[in-house]
Amino acid sequence: MKHGFLIYFFLSSFIATAQERFSISGAIKDLNNGETLLGATVYLEGTTYGTVTNEYGFFSLTAPKGNYTLIVSYVGYETITQQVVLDKDQTLHFELNEASTALNEVVIVAQESEVTSIREPQMSVAKLNAQTIKEMPAVLGEVDVIKSIQMLPGVTNNGEGSAGFHVRGGAADQNLVLLDEAIIYNTSHFFGFFSVFNADAIKNIKLYKGDIPAKYGGRVSSVLDVRQKDGNSKKFSLSGGIGLISSRLAAESPLFNEKGSFLVAGRASYAHLFMPAIENLKDDKISFYDLNLKTNYQLNQNNRLYLSGYFGRDVFNLSKVIKNNYGNATGNLRWNHVFNDRLFSNLSLIYSKYDYRIILDFVELDWIADIKNYNVKYDLGYYVNNNLKVDLGVSGIYYNLNPGEVKPTSETSGINYLKLDEKRAFEGALYISAEHQLTDKLALNYGLRYSNFSRLGGQNLATYVDNKPVVYNNQLEIYERGDVESETHYGKGETIKNYGYLEPRIGLSYQMNESSSIKASYTRSTQYLHLLSNTSSVTPLDVWTPSGEYIKPQISDQFAIGYYKQLKDNAYTLELETYYKQIDNRIDYIDGSSLIGNNNIETEILNGEARAYGVEVLIRKNRGTFTGWLAYTLSKSEQRTLGGNAGGPGINGGSWYNTPYDRTHDISLTGVYKLNEKWSLSSNFIFQTGRPVTYPNGQYEYEGLSIASYGDRNSNRLPAYHRLDVSAIYKPNKHPERRWKSEWVFGIYNVYNRQNAASISFGQNESTGLNEATQISIFGIIPSVTYNFKF
Amino acid sequence: MKKITILLVGLVSVLFSCEEVIDVELQDGPVRLVIEASLDWEKGTVGNDQIIKLRTSTPYFDTQTDTSVTGASVEVINLDTNEVFVFQDQNNGNYTTDAFVPILNNTYQLTVIYNGEVYQGTETLLLAPDINTINQSIEDGFDDENLEVNVYFDDPEDEENYYLLKYYEEGDLLSSLEDVSDEFVNGNEIHDFYEKEDDEDSGEEAFVPGDVVEITLYAISERYYNYIKILNEQTDSGDPFSTTPVQIRGNCVNQTNQNNYAFGYFRVTQYVKEVYTFE
Repeated sequence: MKHGFLIYFFLSSFIATAQERFSISGAIKDLNNGETLLGATVYLEGTTYGTVTNEYGFFSLTAPKGNYTLIVSYVGYETITQQVVLDKDQTLHFELNEASTALNEVVIVAQESEVTSIREPQMSVAKLNAQTIKEMPAVLGEVDVIKSIQMLPGVTNNGEGSAGFHVRGGAADQNLVLLDEAIIYNTSHFFGFFSVFNADAIKNIKLYKGDIPAKYGGRVSSVLDVRQKDGNSKKFSLSGGIGLISSRLAAESPLFNEKGSFLVAGRASYAHLFMPAIENLKDDKISFYDLNLKTNYQLNQNNRLYLSGYFGRDVFNLSKVIKNNYGNATGNLRWNHVFNDRLFSNLSLIYSKYDYRIILDFVELDWIADIKNYNVKYDLGYYVNNNLKVDLGVSGIYYNLNPGEVKPTSETSGINYLKLDEKRAFEGALYISAEHQLTDKLALNYGLRYSNFSRLGGQNLATYVDNKPVVYNNQLEIYERGDVESETHYGKGETIKNYGYLEPRIGLSYQMNESSSIKASYTRSTQYLHLLSNTSSVTPLDVWTPSGEYIKPQISDQFAIGYYKQLKDNAYTLELETYYKQIDNRIDYIDGSSLIGNNNIETEILNGEARAYGVEVLIRKNRGTFTGWLAYTLSKSEQRTLGGNAGGPGINGGSWYNTPYDRTHDISLTGVYKLNEKWSLSSNFIFQTGRPVTYPNGQYEYEGLSIASYGDRNSNRLPAYHRLDVSAIYKPNKHPERRWKSEWVFGIYNVYNRQNAASISFGQNESTGLNEATQISIFGIIPSVTYNFKF
Repeated sequence: MKKITILLVGLVSVLFSCEEVIDVELQDGPVRLVIEASLDWEKGTVGNDQIIKLRTSTPYFDTQTDTSVTGASVEVINLDTNEVFVFQDQNNGNYTTDAFVPILNNTYQLTVIYNGEVYQGTETLLLAPDINTINQSIEDGFDDENLEVNVYFDDPEDEENYYLLKYYEEGDLLSSLEDVSDEFVNGNEIHDFYEKEDDEDSGEEAFVPGDVVEITLYAISERYYNYIKILNEQTDSGDPFSTTPVQIRGNCVNQTNQNNYAFGYFRVTQYVKEVYTFE
C-alpha cells in the first residue's frame, strides 16, 4: 500500500506532463557585479507556477503552453517583469539591479521569498546574507557569522569566548559546517572570540536546524552551508576595512572577457604588531589571519568551472612558555554542467584539513595533530516538471586522522617520542530526493540517503578482557579503564568495522490560505565522526575521532511541525516551530577521563543517548525604515549515559542530566533603523537562561586542603546571560557619483556593562584559606569603530 | 595537562576577562564520613608513627562546624603478614599508632567502624625513587621573571609508575599537589617544577631568595593517582576549559550500607622529602 502511494505520486506528475508543456530555464545574477543570486523567485503572474533559483543561481520552470507575465524578484532588488510566449522550451537569463532605496536597508531573505515562501515544504531553515550580518553590532566591531546565527531561534553558544555553536540543544561537533562544500572542523579564531568566516568573502549562509535535505549528511544536529562570493564579473572592485582587531581587503575582477571572475580576500589581526612595544607582552604573539579565494570560468553556455579555497591560521606564542598555532585549509574544484533546460549537474573535488601544533617549552614537548579529508561528490538536479524536482547524487569521503604526535624538542628533554595510531576511514553516500507539488495546496519533500562508513586498517586495535574497554568497579562505584587483552594488527587494505544506515527524510507543507501554511518534517541522520571533548568549552586541542569497533555512529531522529504566516502583504512574517530530537550513541566521558595523548579512547567513554525538544517563535519585520526580528526559544536538552556493557548504573547514576547546551529560555531581538540617507542604527538584545553547571554541595578537609563534593551533574545554572549592543553606521556619501564609497561603523557592545558569568569557579583563598566562588566574565562594555570602503 | 588548562585560562584572562568574588547560594548534600588515612613512610626511617584522621563533611562555605569524628574503631592489617595495627582514638579526630611496620610491596587493609557501619579499603606500598637534583631557575617555568624550583628523579622503565609531589612553602597556609605519571616519560629522568606568581586576588606571592620550600615525592598506586588527579583538576574548577566536576570517590567502601560511602582515601606510600632554600 505504501508503494502504491508513492507510485501514485510519480504517475500523477508524469500524467501532468502529457499535456503540452514547455520550460523556461536560466540563471539570475546581480546586474552590478555578476554574482549569481540564490533563492531568487521566478513565477508566472496569476498562476501557481513558480520556482526559486538553486545554489548556483539556476532555475527551471515548466508550464502549459500560453502567454504569461514572468516576474523575477529578489528581496533588495528591483523586480523584472517580462511577457513570455510559452510555445517552446527556452533559456532566459536575468540580471537584477539592486533597488536603490534598499541600499542601506537590512536585506533579509525571508524563509523563502514571496510566493514560494510558505508553499515550499522545506522548514527549519534560516538564511542570512552577508549584508545582514555586517549590519549587526559585533564585539570590537569584528563582523562574525557564527555570532550572527546565534540571534536566530534554536541557536546558542556556550558563553563568550567559546568556539562553535549549538543548534536545538545539540553539541558543537554535531554541526556540519561547510565553506563552499568543504568541511570546516574548527570555526573559531582566538579560541572562539571570533569566527573564521570573513564576511567580505561570503555571499550567504543557510542554516538547516532540522528537515535536512538528503544531499547533506554526516552530522546529526544541523548543517551550516556557507557560500563564498564568485567575484565581480562586471568590473574590478576593491573593498576593505580597518577595525580594532583586524583589517580586511578584498579584490574582485572579471577575467577573460567577463567569462570568468575572481575574488581574493584577506583578513589579518594586527594586535601583535603593537605587542613588542608593551613591556609585559614583548615576547608574546597573538594573531590570526584568513585568506579566501574564489575564481570561476565559463567554458561555454553549459559548462562552468569554479575553484575556491580557504586558508586560515591562528598563532599564539606566550613568551617562551607555549607556542601554539592552528587552522583550517580547504580547496574545492567544481564543474557545473547544464545538460539541458531541465537537467543540471555538479561535480566537486574537495579537500579540507585542520591541524594544530603546540610547543610547550617548559616540558620540552612538541605536539602535532591533524585531520584531513578528500571528498568527491556528484550531484544531479532534474526538473521533471513544474511540480516535481528530483535531486540525486553520490559522495565519497576519505578521512585520515592523526590524533597526535609528540616529539621532544631537545636532547635533554625527558619526553619520549610518541605517535598515536593514525586512523583512516571512508564515508560513502548515495541519495535521492524529490520536491513534489501534489496539489495547489499540498507539497511534499521526500528523500532517502544511504550512508556507509568503513573504518579502515593500517593500525593496531586493542581487544579487552571480557570485551570491556571500560569496567565498572562495583566496590568503589567508579568506572575504570579495562585491561588490554591483545592487540590485532589490521593492514591498510583491511576493514576494521563497517556501518551502513538508511536515512529517510520527509517533509510536507499544506497551504491553508494565501498567507499561511503548516509544515511537518522527519529527518534521520547519522554521524560517524566525533569530537572528543570533556571540557565545558570546545578547545582547539580537542581531537576528532572516527566511529569504529568501540565508538558507534550517532543516529538522530528529528520531528518538527511548524506554522507560517505572512502579515500585511509580507511586511511581517511569523514562524512557529516545535521539534523533538532523539540521538542515540552520544558519547560521554567517565569520571577522570584523560583524552589527550590517549591511544585507547574507548577506555574513557560510555555510549549514551541525548534528547532535545522545544518551541521556536520568530517574528520578522521585512520592510520599511525599521527591519529586524524577534526570536524566542523555549527548550530542553538532556542526555543519559547508562553503564551498558561496562556494567553499573552509568554516568550520574544513570539519570537524565542537562547537556551544557540546555537553555530554557532564549530571547534575541535584532533591529535596524534607517534614520536617513547617511545614518542607520542597529541593535541586538539577548537574554538566555544560564548554562547548566555543577556546583559543590559540600566540602571536607583532605591533605590540609578544602575539597569540594559535588551533586548531580549539570543540576545548577550560571546566572542568566543578557546584554544589549548598539551600533551606528554612517555613510558620508558626499559624492554619490564617485566609485569610492565608504562607511564608518561605531559600535558599543554590552551597553549596560553587564558582567555575564563565563564561569564560576570554586576554590580556597590562598591567604585566608576560606572557600570562595569566583566569577569570570569576559566582555564588559566595549566600544569599537570600524572604517569600511568599497571602490 | 592541567598546566595547559592553566595556560589557556591565563590567555583568556589576559585578553579581556574580569574576575570577582561573588556570593552563590548552594544546595547542601548529605554529611559523610571523611577518612584521611595516609600511612606515609619516609625512606630511611622506621615509619612506626602513623596518624589516621576521621572527620565529617560540611556545607561548602561552612567554617564553624567541629568536624572531628570520635568513638570510631580504626585498624590496619598487613594482608601479607596478617599483622594487625590498632589505632588509638585521641578524641580529636586523630587515631594514632606508634607500632606500624611498613614493608615494601605488601598490601594493607584499613577497617573503620563508625556508627555501626564498617568501612574498608586496601592499598599496596610501593618504592619511592630518590630525588637526583633540586635547583632553581627563573627563565624556565611559566613566567620567565618568577623563580621556580626544579625537581629531578629517575623513573624505572619496566613498569607504569605514578607519583605525587607535594610542594609546601614555609609560612603558607596551603600546600600544592602535583600528580605525575610516567606516560610520556617512561624510563627517563622526570622533571617537575613549582612556580608561584604574584596574585592579589588569591593572595599568592612569587618566590624570592630566602624562601624555603619543602618538597615531598611519594610513590603512589595507579588508583590513587586517578583519585588525586581528579582532586587536583577540581581544586579550582569551573573555568571554561575545565572538565565537568564530579564526585571524587575514594577507596574506602562502606560494607554495611554502600550508599553511605565515605570521602577520603586509604593510601600507603613511601616518600622522600627535601627542603630547598631559594638563593
